[in-house]
Amino acid sequence: MEKIPLGRDSHLTDNLATFVELLRCEGLPLGTTELIDALQALERVDLSDRTAFKIALRAALVKSQRDFAAFNRIFDHFFVDFDVYQNRVEQSDKYQQEQQEQISLADRDLQFKGESLQLSDDELKQYSSMTQDERDRLQEFLHKTETGKNVEPRFRPLLENVVKSHLRYCRNRDSEADYNKASGEGDGAGSGSTSTDQNIREKDIEAVRSSEMPSAEHLLQQLSRKLAVKILRRRRVGPRSGALDLRRSIRDNMRFGGVIFNLKRRPKRRSKQQILLLCDVSASMKQYSTFVIHFMMGLQDVVRNLSCFSFAEQVENLTPELKGRSGLQHVLESVVRHSKNWGGGTNLGSSLEELSRKYPDYLNAKTTVIIVSDTRTVSIDRALKALEKLDDRVKRIIWLNPLPIERWPDYRSVNIIASKVEMWPCNTIAQLEEVLTGRL
Amino acid sequence: MDLNTLRKSFEKVGYICDESTLLTVFLALDLQKPILIEGAPGVGKTEMGKVLAEILQTDLIRLQCYEGLDETKALYEWNYQRQLLRIQMNRSLEEEQIHEEDLFSREYLLERPLLRAIQAEKQAVLLIDEVDKCDPEFEAFLFEVLSDFQVSIPELGTISAKHIPVVVLTSNNERELSDGLKRRCLYLYLDFPEAEKEVRIIKAKVPGVADRLSWETARVVSQLRRHEDLRKKPSIAETLDWVRALVALNRSRLDGKLVADTLNLLLKTHADQQYFNKEIGPDGVEKILKSTDDGGDMRRCQ
Repeated sequence: MEKIPLGRDSHLTDNLATFVELLRCEGLPLGTTELIDALQALERVDLSDRTAFKIALRAALVKSQRDFAAFNRIFDHFFVDFDVYQNRVEQSDKYQQEQQEQISLADRDLQFKGESLQLSDDELKQYSSMTQDERDRLQEFLHKTETGKNVEPRFRPLLENVVKSHLRYCRNRDSEADYNKASGEGDGAGSGSTSTDQNIREKDIEAVRSSEMPSAEHLLQQLSRKLAVKILRRRRVGPRSGALDLRRSIRDNMRFGGVIFNLKRRPKRRSKQQILLLCDVSASMKQYSTFVIHFMMGLQDVVRNLSCFSFAEQVENLTPELKGRSGLQHVLESVVRHSKNWGGGTNLGSSLEELSRKYPDYLNAKTTVIIVSDTRTVSIDRALKALEKLDDRVKRIIWLNPLPIERWPDYRSVNIIASKVEMWPCNTIAQLEEVLTGRL
Repeated sequence: MDLNTLRKSFEKVGYICDESTLLTVFLALDLQKPILIEGAPGVGKTEMGKVLAEILQTDLIRLQCYEGLDETKALYEWNYQRQLLRIQMNRSLEEEQIHEEDLFSREYLLERPLLRAIQAEKQAVLLIDEVDKCDPEFEAFLFEVLSDFQVSIPELGTISAKHIPVVVLTSNNERELSDGLKRRCLYLYLDFPEAEKEVRIIKAKVPGVADRLSWETARVVSQLRRHEDLRKKPSIAETLDWVRALVALNRSRLDGKLVADTLNLLLKTHADQQYFNKEIGPDGVEKILKSTDDGGDMRRCQ
């Protein structure tokens, strides 16, 4: 086994530091401790065994299954066989040489009165990357300027500025096109640049395609579980309630020689909390319907006492359908197609009033109400009053808004409702995850 | 212990694992770092702790985590009844006045799993099971134990480990663990095994099972796990229970009806059983078994 003493092989240490830096760029929370762990792990494996090398690094650097895909991708690109490395070096040398030649050619093309223009290497490279037509046009412009009437050598700085501006414009245009192309490819099924899960996480939920639904469903189920744990976690309450805690009483009264003056009681646990999920299924929410259904089903899987309602112009209790479900198709059949609400207009005010009137047992101090809606409703004032009344009856209202957050200022209803209840964006699964793991 | 010895030891105790798992465990042992194991329920996370204790021929000290677990249950507690008796005895016998340090001495200390692991005369295996179920405050408390292998008891001072224990933490990923805890551990994810590996596990854990039955059960379970609509996919533990039941029934091969009749050993929710009956059924099982007959995979596993 080939072993390396820690810190002696500076080349490996440097490489590993660069590798860790790349992983950090992918969002892996890695510090110096992990780098040292990785180096120590490498001391204990056969470096010529690529699989062992990879496993050792993964054990030390990756702390979540979610990050495996990013790690594998970067590892495969970064640590390559010697032949591939040599090939890359040759290609790089060749590329550098070609670049130099192109710069020389560009320098020769872009002249004014027989002398080269003062352009940087980057500007000359940009010129080389342009199409033949574009280059011809620029040369023609230079030629016409050069041969025009009363053109003097002192015009050179002015001309240089014009050429520089044009090259800058072309560079910006090309980068934008590259970015759009990359984004478009990211949406494609065959994208190999990022992992599928990561793509779906970052994607607008209305754009998640049917082929990606199993992964999205899985992610939503995980998130639903997290949400349920966050909301249903039972906290301890004050010391005055609960049964007598003999152990704590004795300990506290030890100072009185064991004579019990102060009674200590066991912290009482709160009874199980309830979640009431209220999903907007009106026409404006139609594009988010798949998300809503999966979110409902995900929560249903993990929360035993979940009550589920849909609303548009009136409320509809979906709890029985969800509880007796056997698969997505059944839910879609019973919830979507047979629903009176699906695709209708939104009247949040009347829906909330109906909810309070018809289902008072669901609304009490133990209930957390989660509303999934874009807030677009008629009679916003009535909605606001109903929302305030509901807020008084229940423990907490959490509003998840699937509208992209940059569009929130465009809607008056969003601003008004957000001032009354806590509202979180859930336009992408990543956003929902961020809310659940941190801020909620 | 070198890698080969560890590999042989795992084989000897019947814990079948891949090279990746083996190497990660080896590194954790060699670097004396805790190992955090995540994965679906029933893939062998807790078993890893037990197996390591068996391999290292040492005690397994288990701390089962739950909501509300605190240091009095995990680390130490004073024996109050005994302290109280001592005070009362001292008073009735009219002996000289008792000092506080007499009462808060090791004599009155009740060691809980963490302290027991640190105080052990021989290197122990400390299994902190389902760490995701404990509160974040307790998780932060674990930092001191896992990074420095020492604990602080106000009345006694800092107690350092006599032998650094082998620490195995398991998590079902019910909640995200803190970066601080993860940073102190090597990470291992245990996934459901491939059919070939599951055959080896079945043969190791269920002596006397027919080759054909082990392959067919592994194949059926592997296919079932591909159904994303199942709420609870069958784990290795459930596969083993199923195979044991089939062996007890003197069966040496599977058929669709037998799978349907013994389904409750494999699928533990009513919804999943309904899903099986509707989407797969005995006919679906027969198809899986037929594909097993056609392929040469079974011979490879024999």
